[in-house]
Amino acid sequence: MKKKAFAVTLDPATSLSNHTGSWRTLRPVNVFKLPPCNNQCPAGENIQQWLYYAGEGDYEHAWRVLTEENPLPACMGRVCYHTCEGKCNRGFLDESVGINSVERFLGDYALEHNLGFKIPSRETGKKVLIIGSGPAGLSAAYQLRRFGHKVHIVEMGQEPGGMMRYGIPVYRLPRNILDAEIKRITDMGVEIECGRKVENIEAEKRSGNYDAVILCLGASISTNVDIPQGDTTSILNALNVLGEIETKGDIQIARRVAVYGGGNTAVDVARSLRRIGAEPIIVYRRNRDKMPANEEEMDAAIEEGIQVKWLSTIAEARKDSLKIEKMVLDENGKPKPTGEYEELPADAVVLAIGQNVDTSVISKISGLNMEKDSVVIDNETMMTSVDGIFAAGDCASTDRTVTRAIGMGKHAARSVNAYLNGRAYKKAEKHEIAKFEDMHPWYYTDAPKQIREELEAARRCGTFDEVQKGLTEENAVFEARRCLSCGNCMECDNCYGVCPDSAIIKLGAGKGYEFNYDYCKGCGVCAQECPCGHIKMVPEQI
Amino acid sequence: MLKQIEGSLGVAEAVALCRPGVVCAYPISPQTHIVENVGKFVKTGTLKDCDFLNVESEFSAMSVAIGSSAGGARTYTATASQGLLFMVEGIYSASGLGLPIVMTVASRAIGGPINIWNDHSDSLSQRDSGWLQLFCESNQDAVDTHIMAFKIAETVGLPVMVCMDGFVLSHAFERLDIPSQEVVDKFLKEYEPNEYLNTSEPISMGAMVGPEAFTEVRILQQRKMARALKVIEDVTKEYRELTGSKSGGLLDCYNCENADLKLIILGSSVGTAKDEIDRLKKEGINVGIISLKSFRPFPYAKLAEAIGDTKQVICLERAFSFGGRGIICPEVKRAMEGKNCDIKTVVAGLGGRAIYGTTINGIVKNALDGKFTEEFTFFDVDASVLNSYTQKTEGVSFPNGPICQSQIDNSVNM
Repeated sequence: MKKKAFAVTLDPATSLSNHTGSWRTLRPVNVFKLPPCNNQCPAGENIQQWLYYAGEGDYEHAWRVLTEENPLPACMGRVCYHTCEGKCNRGFLDESVGINSVERFLGDYALEHNLGFKIPSRETGKKVLIIGSGPAGLSAAYQLRRFGHKVHIVEMGQEPGGMMRYGIPVYRLPRNILDAEIKRITDMGVEIECGRKVENIEAEKRSGNYDAVILCLGASISTNVDIPQGDTTSILNALNVLGEIETKGDIQIARRVAVYGGGNTAVDVARSLRRIGAEPIIVYRRNRDKMPANEEEMDAAIEEGIQVKWLSTIAEARKDSLKIEKMVLDENGKPKPTGEYEELPADAVVLAIGQNVDTSVISKISGLNMEKDSVVIDNETMMTSVDGIFAAGDCASTDRTVTRAIGMGKHAARSVNAYLNGRAYKKAEKHEIAKFEDMHPWYYTDAPKQIREELEAARRCGTFDEVQKGLTEENAVFEARRCLSCGNCMECDNCYGVCPDSAIIKLGAGKGYEFNYDYCKGCGVCAQECPCGHIKMVPEQI
Repeated sequence: MLKQIEGSLGVAEAVALCRPGVVCAYPISPQTHIVENVGKFVKTGTLKDCDFLNVESEFSAMSVAIGSSAGGARTYTATASQGLLFMVEGIYSASGLGLPIVMTVASRAIGGPINIWNDHSDSLSQRDSGWLQLFCESNQDAVDTHIMAFKIAETVGLPVMVCMDGFVLSHAFERLDIPSQEVVDKFLKEYEPNEYLNTSEPISMGAMVGPEAFTEVRILQQRKMARALKVIEDVTKEYRELTGSKSGGLLDCYNCENADLKLIILGSSVGTAKDEIDRLKKEGINVGIISLKSFRPFPYAKLAEAIGDTKQVICLERAFSFGGRGIICPEVKRAMEGKNCDIKTVVAGLGGRAIYGTTINGIVKNALDGKFTEEFTFFDVDASVLNSYTQKTEGVSFPNGPICQSQIDNSVNM
């Protein structure tokens, strides 16, 4: 430069003497809102965070974040009913993010690459007994082991997994996947003793010198209903049918089978029976709208040719037919009998109308409060009415899903850890939920949801091969990147780019930004242009 | 090299000879042919190393010009009338930043009512914009003045508006002597900016200046204008010596020796006036013409010298200030402060009304007969057009012939 203009031309950084921050009446602050998916997830997964790493292609990091909350992502990526996706804000734009399919991708990636959990670096010397190796028990065991406690699980079945093994059919959850994810937990040092039913929990606790017990024994008994029947009709229960198919690969049952119930178990039973050559028909007292079964599962069942007799109850089971009473729904959606009857040809009935907790053992624990067949627990600490005995999973909940059980197991473990350290456990407080209205979605580009390939319906009926396939890596990354990162910074640089005062400081990859309040005038452009609603303008105290 | 070409093409060739780095263009009559031709030169490779940018408005054209000039490129654009007004915010920025942009204004009346023909209301509206404003009396003057304008702008550190009458010059085909590239290269060296935006040596241009230094910044701008008077003369001298041209300068005198009356005229009317003055001379009437080339900076001293002892001066003005009087006349009065000289405005040639030899003849005779009794007179008025409206609506009528300010004032008082 030959000669600079007076006053009008400035050297770099000379304007820094003008502290425009003093003009501010509103100040931008970074808020970390709870994405609706995280809020919804019964296992409390940090979905937005692991989707971010998955989208970055850092699958191991994503998997490690995921498994902070849930040690069974390959299983969950298959059997979870992913209610998170129903709450996904992306649903307001095009379609919700396929969270479940990315979870499965990460779970499968970890299995393929033999990723293991870290062995605790120090042993606490405390011992915890867990009754039951279903999802709640495994989840609790895993979390306790991470704290360095010694964990012993006693499982009455011949193999671990609980309902994941004896309730969920193979075509939804191949057993090699389940086995591999369980093995990863036992590799941490968790002991699972199978084939023994603990008859006296208090005595077991005393004799084994356990410092705490978590009851994770599930709801292993099918609910019965009294159906008048002739001698020749066979009435079976769902869990027995599913258990027998699991252990023997087949079941001796009639050709025309009525599956009685409208929940997920009914659908599992019907679809399993279809695969061994029977002709199942679901009999349900209400209509499709009121059906509790998962919609996608039900769609798959219908694709496979499974018939449904809606608005029907079984009044009587005869030799080769059922007497069906037609129902109507009243204004509250409750089924009412009509007194009209019809015949439905059927050689057998499978009851799938609910499951109950086996109370024969736990009712012996002195001072244990029960409500109906559920163990009463403190919602915060997961402890039962008996000091040192905690409970999680189906035996302590009416929301009986794998995901819920994993979440409960996690909390129970954390609470046990606090208990063992002489503290009372408090669940972390939830942040404000990130609402779609708080976001500025203009910046998100159109991106169609990636659909998992499925086995053709025609090829499903003769085999228990897995129906749903996983996403390819390319599709999984694409899907992960569809995440809007609701309420949490994704480092898009919008604020950094739009700030007229260069008052946004970049802290480096993964560290986000901070505001330079010396120069921020509080114009609010950053908040307006933040796609995910991570910035909030709050009044200055003047 | 002599060519028989359109004025716009001549100007385009002159601009191309100056090797601009950036030319931004938005079409508006009557300047369009100039940038169209420059565009052709860029496209055909006649003009190399030049970015020719089509923009979407005059505001953008000026913005691009500011950006490219601040980036250190020799920059040219052209406009007229409403287009010039649309640029105004940028025009003031360009001068405030001291950016040596050269811009042609092919002068055209400002609407409303919309009018595409020539007068000086557009260029004179930018009197206070901080740009140098150089008027051209012929296409040869325009060709040469454009070449000089780059050198003047870059020497002074201010933008230059080259004002040439729309259509009358821009669209006229005549003989032009276009200097060779060698001559222009010798005259105009590669542009070396004092300061420019450059990532290896970063600066902020156009910072805010508050009351603590604003006056001083303005004084520095005024100083540049003061320096420009000398620079214009020096550059003109250099150019004339190199090319033998008679163009440029602060002002030009014709037949001024012992003239009884001097006319001060801007732009193309000078040529018409010169012819008429030659005829009048044969009648024994001795009238001088001062062709005012530089309106900004205004050459007060030089003009006073040019008027000399002449007792009567008429400013032939092709624009005026509504609610005021002439625009040129007050400047001339200022130049002649304290000297016994009668200076008046005669308005003619608004919105493309032709100034003929007879118009000049009429002005001279009226002036010498003492018929311009007031400072401000509209000369080439068609009273019948005016009366066709005022008589019907207000019962007011004007006599044939020139209309002075008091007649206008009195017609309202009735």
